[in-house]
Amino acid sequence: MAEKKKLSTADILAAARKNAAGGATPPPAEKQPAADAPAEVTPPSAPIAAESAGDSPAATPKSARAGGAKPSVADILAAARANKAAAGGAAAQPAAAKPAAAKPAAEKPAAKPKADKPAAAKPAAASGPAVRDTSSILAAARAASKPGPVSKSEAAARAKPAVPAKSAKGESAVPPMPAKPDYAKPKATKEAPQEERRFFLGVLVGSFLGLGFSTLSATGGLWTLAVLRYMFPNVLTEPPSKFKIGFPSDFPPGVVEEKFKAQFGIWPVNVEYKGQRQIVAIKTVCTHLGCTPNWLEAEQKFKCPCHGSGFYKDGINFEGPAPRPLERYAIRLADDGQLEVDKSRTFQEELGQWSDASCFVSV
Amino acid sequence: MHSAPDFLSHVATPLGFYYMILCVLNWVAALVMWRHGPKTYTTLKLGPATIPVTNVIVWLLVGAAFFVCAPLAMIGLPPELPSEVKQIVNELSGPVTLTLGSLALFTILFVFRRAWTAPPVAWTILNLALLAMGMSMTDPNFTAIVAKPDNVPIVGLVFLLGFFTWLATYKAVLNDDRAAQGLPPLEKEDNEKVLVWPDLVYTELICMVALTAFLLLWAIALQAPLEEPSSRVKTPNPSKAPWYFLGLQEMLVYYDPWMAGVVLPSVVLLGLMAIPYLDFNRKGSGYYTISERKFAYLVFQFGFLELWVILIILGTFLRGPNWNFFGPFETWDAHKVLAQNNVDLSQFFWIKWLNQSMPKAPTGSGAGTELLYILWREMPGILLVFAYFVLLPPIMAATIFRKFFVKMGFIRFMLMSNLLLMMGSLPLKMVARWSVNLKYFISIPEYFLNF
Repeated sequence: MAEKKKLSTADILAAARKNAAGGATPPPAEKQPAADAPAEVTPPSAPIAAESAGDSPAATPKSARAGGAKPSVADILAAARANKAAAGGAAAQPAAAKPAAAKPAAEKPAAKPKADKPAAAKPAAASGPAVRDTSSILAAARAASKPGPVSKSEAAARAKPAVPAKSAKGESAVPPMPAKPDYAKPKATKEAPQEERRFFLGVLVGSFLGLGFSTLSATGGLWTLAVLRYMFPNVLTEPPSKFKIGFPSDFPPGVVEEKFKAQFGIWPVNVEYKGQRQIVAIKTVCTHLGCTPNWLEAEQKFKCPCHGSGFYKDGINFEGPAPRPLERYAIRLADDGQLEVDKSRTFQEELGQWSDASCFVSV
Repeated sequence: MHSAPDFLSHVATPLGFYYMILCVLNWVAALVMWRHGPKTYTTLKLGPATIPVTNVIVWLLVGAAFFVCAPLAMIGLPPELPSEVKQIVNELSGPVTLTLGSLALFTILFVFRRAWTAPPVAWTILNLALLAMGMSMTDPNFTAIVAKPDNVPIVGLVFLLGFFTWLATYKAVLNDDRAAQGLPPLEKEDNEKVLVWPDLVYTELICMVALTAFLLLWAIALQAPLEEPSSRVKTPNPSKAPWYFLGLQEMLVYYDPWMAGVVLPSVVLLGLMAIPYLDFNRKGSGYYTISERKFAYLVFQFGFLELWVILIILGTFLRGPNWNFFGPFETWDAHKVLAQNNVDLSQFFWIKWLNQSMPKAPTGSGAGTELLYILWREMPGILLVFAYFVLLPPIMAATIFRKFFVKMGFIRFMLMSNLLLMMGSLPLKMVARWSVNLKYFISIPEYFLNF
């Protein structure tokens, strides 16, 4: 892109004079910035730039566009409006149009459509905001079409701040805005203490967004409560946790009874533990990851098919990854002499709970 | 020596087709080589005539050999592996030899990457692998595992993985050679812009149609492996996770469930996410290379091939009933007895080496005293793990990773070295389990803390 070049007062004046003398020839000031300059200066945008440069100063937006990015519909519209207004102005007051044409070219040599589109019209439009409504564009066009005579110092003053784009924006002659209607005026601020007190309430219900989120969280909370309630059904159809498995004499020493595995998930075993013969109810859940081990009669061990944990007949782990022995359920001798297993309580060896008398029946 | 004839007649037809496919494969390769201009290896003098031995002729002959195998397999006389070879393979697929052997193979593949990625060598390796596969299929035990509908895609994936490993290594070797000559990588030469429409979309469409057709045929040919209705009390033996989780399942054999199921997978994920922040090597972006990124390449290939793929293969093909190890030609005997009495490090230390009983809190003591006793009991393991994770990184920084430490700074280096050590702890633990039946370094079942 063309680098910005600061124009001296002499340059501007020379350009203005040449323009007045040459009539239709493009202002020399336009030649200096590279992007929207005619053919001999910038080859890339040459064809269109040359063509448009021949027309009139009013055609500047076109050439500027040719060098820059593709303009949006809004840009074209604005440019067309500015074009029309500037053309009228130029025809009526050629002298007045001179500084107008020269300045924007000096001001915005970079071929940005946004900045250049109103450039040909007048500096006011060039440095104003990009999006304008029709009335403000027209007002701006009219205001600049008869700016009156410009003195040397005035021209210099205008050209100078125009060089840095940002400051030009701030200083430019923005068309007078209509007085703000009542509804657009900022509301009178409330007293600070009152605002503070009602701030939270305002956040909650003060806006639609706040209202929406409050409703959402309230619904979510109720939903969570309802789900929690669902976790405690009115009727439980589980097998009883206490059941009788028969008389102690049904369990001969050293035998692992497998017939309760399917329905109750226990292995009643008559086993010797720490020198004491006892009947215990072993839980059929592997202490590694909860698979159901198998009792291998030939090897006399419980073996888990998932990761290969192995347990002795008394439930003590000895191989594979299981970190602790199989658990025991509570068992006791009921009043009728039968063994009663209580699945609501478990006993873990590694916590020393197997010495608890309620997890075995001595025989 | 020979397998049962009824089994051979069972696999005769598929094996015949298998060898026919191998034959066609080699002949097509020969055709492609012929069209690209054959290369003469050597010349044979046969009386007055001189016959050049070109690569085309070699692969035509290999194809012809497979062509002969096909009808032999059809009539029930396929080439078979001698039982001695099967015995050796069974013994070699024991866990220790498998892990260390695959590590050695991995090293060989890295060191001799220039040699084995040469297309004729790679093609020979592929042919040998396919031939070994065909010969093994005559073994009922091998076929039972490999041809299980669950496992067929895994076998396919093993070959696919081999192909892609070859492809990436081959391209990396080419690029490294070019870099040595001062040329840009191949990908930079051939970075012509391709349009999404039609180039990409058409390719995708064709792939989509072809894959859909393939899946349809597969679904018709291979029945879905449905099992018996689930039962709370009957766990299938062996109980295997989906193939892509078999590495994790294998990991669970060596670690506490929350360690192998929660901590280590999270560390794997976080570690993978951390790679961009740990990596300070700016080379190798957008093209294959090995010599410019040796550390990254080795670490990734070790983590992927060793710790993921080998574990999946191990879990799929070598784990049998009761989660015991079985060689590929071994019968899955549910009553295979292996001595696997695992011992914790603390038991080794107190009972075996110091010859005294394990420290145990006197009965009735408070929770604090018990905890102190537990910590005292597990002191050797805690010290060992502490040394591994805390003392090793500074030593690494001072010795082999000096440059890394300078470039990465303290925090990044500590992160990197700990991730690396965490990764290395898996094979160490596995080998310790298999060789000395070590169960846990730290074993605190009272608080579900085992490592």
